Amino acid sequence: MITKSRINRAQIMGLLLPGLLIFGMFTVYPIIRLFWMSLCDMSFSSMLIQPFAGIMNYQEVFNDSTFWTVFVNSIVYTLVTVPGQMALGLFIAILLNGIKRFSVTFRVINYLPVVTSWVIASLVFRYIFNTEGLLNYFLWKILDVTSGNIRWLNTRWSGLSVAMILGIWKGIGWNMVIFLAALQQVPQDLYEAAEIDGCGAWKKFVNVTLPAIRGTILFALIELTIGGFNVFTSIKMITGGKPAHQTDTLLTWMYYKAFSTGKFGYAAALSFVMALSLGLLAIVQFRMMRNKDA
Amino acid sequence: MRTLTRILAVMLACMMLTAICPAMAEETVTINFWHHYSAQSAENETLMNVLIPAFEAENPGIKVNAVSHEWAELHDKVLVSANSNALPDVARCDIAWLPEFQKMGILVALDEEMADFTDVSGQLLDSAMSTAVIGGHYYALALNTNSKIVFYNTAMLEAADVKVPTTMDEWVEAIKKLSGENANGQQVWGWNEPALAGWNICPFIWSFGGSLTNEDQTAATGYINSPATVKAIETFAELVKAGGITGFNAGDIPMTDGFGTGRYAMMLEGPWKSAELAGAYPDVAYGTAPIPAGEGGSISVLGGEDIAMFNSANKEAAWKFMQFMTSEYAETEMAKCGQIPVNKAALESETVKAADYAPFIEAIQTAKARPTVAAWSEMDNDLQVAMNAVVTGEKTAQEAMDELAAAWDLLLK
Amino acid sequence: MKSKNAAKIRAAVVRYLLLALGTVIFTLPMIYMISTSLRPNGALYEYPPRFFPKWEALTLENYDYILHQSKFYLNFLNSVIASVSTIALAAAVGSAMAFVLGKFKSKGTNLLFAFIIITMIIPGTTMIVPQFELATKLGMVNKLWGLIPFYVAWVIPFSTFMIKGFMENIPGEIMEAAWIDGADVWTVYAKIALPLASPAIASVSIFNFLTAWEEYPWANTVINDNSKRTLPIAIAGFFGQHQFTQWGYVFAMSVLTLIPVVLIFILCQKFFVQGLTAGSVKG
Repeated sequence: MITKSRINRAQIMGLLLPGLLIFGMFTVYPIIRLFWMSLCDMSFSSMLIQPFAGIMNYQEVFNDSTFWTVFVNSIVYTLVTVPGQMALGLFIAILLNGIKRFSVTFRVINYLPVVTSWVIASLVFRYIFNTEGLLNYFLWKILDVTSGNIRWLNTRWSGLSVAMILGIWKGIGWNMVIFLAALQQVPQDLYEAAEIDGCGAWKKFVNVTLPAIRGTILFALIELTIGGFNVFTSIKMITGGKPAHQTDTLLTWMYYKAFSTGKFGYAAALSFVMALSLGLLAIVQFRMMRNKDA
Repeated sequence: MRTLTRILAVMLACMMLTAICPAMAEETVTINFWHHYSAQSAENETLMNVLIPAFEAENPGIKVNAVSHEWAELHDKVLVSANSNALPDVARCDIAWLPEFQKMGILVALDEEMADFTDVSGQLLDSAMSTAVIGGHYYALALNTNSKIVFYNTAMLEAADVKVPTTMDEWVEAIKKLSGENANGQQVWGWNEPALAGWNICPFIWSFGGSLTNEDQTAATGYINSPATVKAIETFAELVKAGGITGFNAGDIPMTDGFGTGRYAMMLEGPWKSAELAGAYPDVAYGTAPIPAGEGGSISVLGGEDIAMFNSANKEAAWKFMQFMTSEYAETEMAKCGQIPVNKAALESETVKAADYAPFIEAIQTAKARPTVAAWSEMDNDLQVAMNAVVTGEKTAQEAMDELAAAWDLLLK
Repeated sequence: MKSKNAAKIRAAVVRYLLLALGTVIFTLPMIYMISTSLRPNGALYEYPPRFFPKWEALTLENYDYILHQSKFYLNFLNSVIASVSTIALAAAVGSAMAFVLGKFKSKGTNLLFAFIIITMIIPGTTMIVPQFELATKLGMVNKLWGLIPFYVAWVIPFSTFMIKGFMENIPGEIMEAAWIDGADVWTVYAKIALPLASPAIASVSIFNFLTAWEEYPWANTVINDNSKRTLPIAIAGFFGQHQFTQWGYVFAMSVLTLIPVVLIFILCQKFFVQGLTAGSVKG
C-alpha cells in the first residue's frame, strides 16, 4: 500500500498540516478558550488577571432577565424564519420544476437576495420600513388597509418582524435551489404510479415528494437553524436592539455585553450555552428525521 | 490554472508592498488620533483639510492618522483597545468618559509628565480644565465646550400661535399645541428627543428641581427617585404617550431631517446644529432660546470634549499635537463649524464673536455636568432601559426610578 | 382530452403568474435602493414618497461624492485583497485536506473529518470573544491581513466537505496507475487530483468569496482605521452618524459594492448551483 512508504506518509502529513494549523489555531483553540473564559471572572478592569470563577458567569446569565428576552427572541426568529424560508423555497421550486421556459431566469432573479450582503439588505429594509417610509405610505394612502403609519421599528415584536421578513426574503433563494435539485432527482415513475392510484396533486406531494426529499429537508433544517441563531448583522443594522435591548438576539446581546460593557466572561458563558443548545438541537433534528425512516 | 497562479503572485506582491511601505518610512512618527467628529461633517473637513496639514507642515517628521468613530462606538473601541494594546496615541473624549478611562489606568497624568503643562493649560479656561481633573491630577486638555439650548421652527410656532416657552408649564402646553397633523396629513411633533440617555433626560430632571445623585456622588436613592425627578420623568413620558415627543425610536425621522422638513417643531441641541442645518436645510427659519425654567431653574447639560493621551503613546509627538489642537489657531478654525473654544485667546477672536455663541455660553453658566464617576456609562445604560419602561407604560415613573436608584446605589459604592 | 389540455394551460399560467409575483417581491427592494441612490439627499423625506424619483430630479451626485470624496477605492481594494487572499488560501489548504481525507481513508482521517464537520454547528460569531483575544495576542488587530486567517479558518470545514465529495469520485484506477509509475503523493495531488477537482474548487471559491466580501461583525470588531476598512464597514460607517443619515450616499455605495457580486453570480451561475446541490442532495 502506498501509505507504507515513509516519504508518502510525510507528504500526506504535509498536505494536512497547513489546514490543520489554521483550523486548529483559529477555530479549535477559540472554542476551547471560550469554555475556559466562561469560567473566569473577566472584565475591562481585570483583563490581565483572570481569576477562576467557577459557574458564576453561568449563574449571572441565567439570572439575567434580558438574557431570557433575547433567548426568546432568537427562538422566535428561528421558529418563524426556518419554516418560512423552507416552505416558500419549496413552493417556488415546485413551480419552477413544472415550467419549461424562463426557468433559469427566474432562478437567477430569485437567488439575487442571497448574494446581497447582509449590511446592504438590512439598510434597505430599514429604509423601507421606517415609520415615514414607502411601505407605510403604500399601505395607508394607496391600499388603504391601515389607518396610519405602523411603527415597525419601534417595538419588540414589530422590530423583530422586520428582521424576520428580511431573513425569509433573503433565504428563499437558497432553499429554492437545493429543493429544485432534490425535486429533479425524484423518480418520475413514482408520480405515475401515484397517478394510477388516483392521487391528486396534494396527495402526490405528501405521499411522494415529501418522503423523497427528506434528506434535503433535514439538511436545510439543520443549516437554517444554525443560521437562525447566527442572526446578528440584520438586528444590529435594523433596530440596533432598540428599544432597550427588547429586539436584541443572543448574538447581538452577547456582543453588547462583551464589547460595550467588557463582560467577557458573561459573553463567553452565553456563547457556550448557545453552542451547546445548538448541538443538542441538531442531534434532536437528526434523530427525528431518521426515526421517520424506520 | 496558470492565470490563477499569476493573480496570486500579484496579490502576494501587493500585500508585501503594503507591509513594507510603512517600514521604509520609519523616519517619521505617525500618531493615531481617534475622534467622533462625524465623517461627513464640517468639523471633519476642517480637521482633515486644514488642521492636520497645518500641523504636519509645522512639525515635519510627525504624521497624523485621524480615525473617525461614531460617538458610542468610540467609547467602546477605546475600552476594547485598552485590552489589546491597540490604543491610539491621542483621542478626543466626551468629558463624561474621563473618570472611567482614568480608573482603567490608561490615561497619562499630564501635569506629572509634561514639564510645560502649566504654560499650556494656562491658556485654557479654568472651568473647562476642571473637567480633566481626577484625584488632583490632570489627565487631559480641554478641547471644546458646549451645552444645549432650544431650537424652534419659527413658522410652526407662528402658525400654531405659540409663544416660545419660558417655563416648563408653557413648554408642556406648547408641545401639545404644536403636535398634530400638518397640511399633508402627516404627523408632526412638538418636541424631538433623539435618545433617552442622560445627555437627553438630565436637563429636564434638573430643571424640574430633581437630581441624579447626592453631592458626593455616592448614593442615588432619594435623588433619582425623589418626587421632583419622578415628576420630570412623568411629565416627559406623558408627552411621549400623547404624541408630543418622539425621536428616540429606531423608526423615527432623524432629528436634523425632521426639524429641517417641519416635522419636529422644537429640539434641544448644541452649537454644531446651526452649521449642520445651514448645510442640509438652508431654507428652514429657526430661533433659539434657553431651556424653559422649572422649579429648579433653567438648567441644561454641560457637554464638551477633552483631548487625552494614552499611556502607550509616543508622548513627545502626542503632546505636540494636543498643544496644537488646543492652540488659538486650531480652536478658531473649529469655532467656524460649531465648536465653542476653550482657548482664552480664541474666545476673544473676531471669528468667535461673529459666530454668536452667546446663547450657548449663557447656558453653560448654569449648566450641570453629568455624574463624574467611573461607572457612568453603565449608569447611563440603566437609565435608558428605565426610561424606556416608563415611556412605553410598562412601569410607572416611580417604580422605574425606585429600581434604578437601587441599581445605581450598588454602582456608586 | 380537451379539458385536460385546458387544465394544463391554466396550471402553467398560474405558475408563471405566481413566479412573476415572486420576482416583483424579490427585486423591488433592490430597485428601490437603486432609485434612492439616484435622487438628491434633500428629497428623501419628500411628500408624497415616490418609488421612482422625478425624471428631472435624477442625479448622479451621490455617486460623484462616493467616487471622489470618500475612500471608496481604498475600501474596495481592501475588500478585494481580503476576499481574494481568503479564497486562494482556502482553495489550497482545503483541497489538500480534502484530498487526504477523501483518498486515504483510515480511522484517523474519518475521525478528523467528523470533527471538522461537527464544528460547523457552532455559528461563527459565537467565537468572537476568544478570537478577539487571540487576534490581540498575535498583533492582528487593526491589520487588514489579520482578517484573512480567520476567514480561512471559517470556510475550511465547508470547503473541505465540498471538495472531499469530489475527490472521492475520482476513479481509483487513475491513481493506481500513477502509483505504479512511481509517482509520490504530492505529484498525484498536484497532477491528478487538483485538475480533476477544479470544478468543485471553483464553486467553493465563489461561496468563500461571498463570505469574505460581505463579512461584517469580525471586520467591524478588529479594524479601526478608515483606510483599512472593508466595504461593509465603510457602508455601515456612512449610516447613522450624528442625527441624520445620508441615504443617497449609503445606497450609492451599496450599489457599487453589489455590482461585482452580481456580475460574478450571473457569470458563474452554473458553479453556484453545482456547489449548493452537491452538499444537500447527499445530506
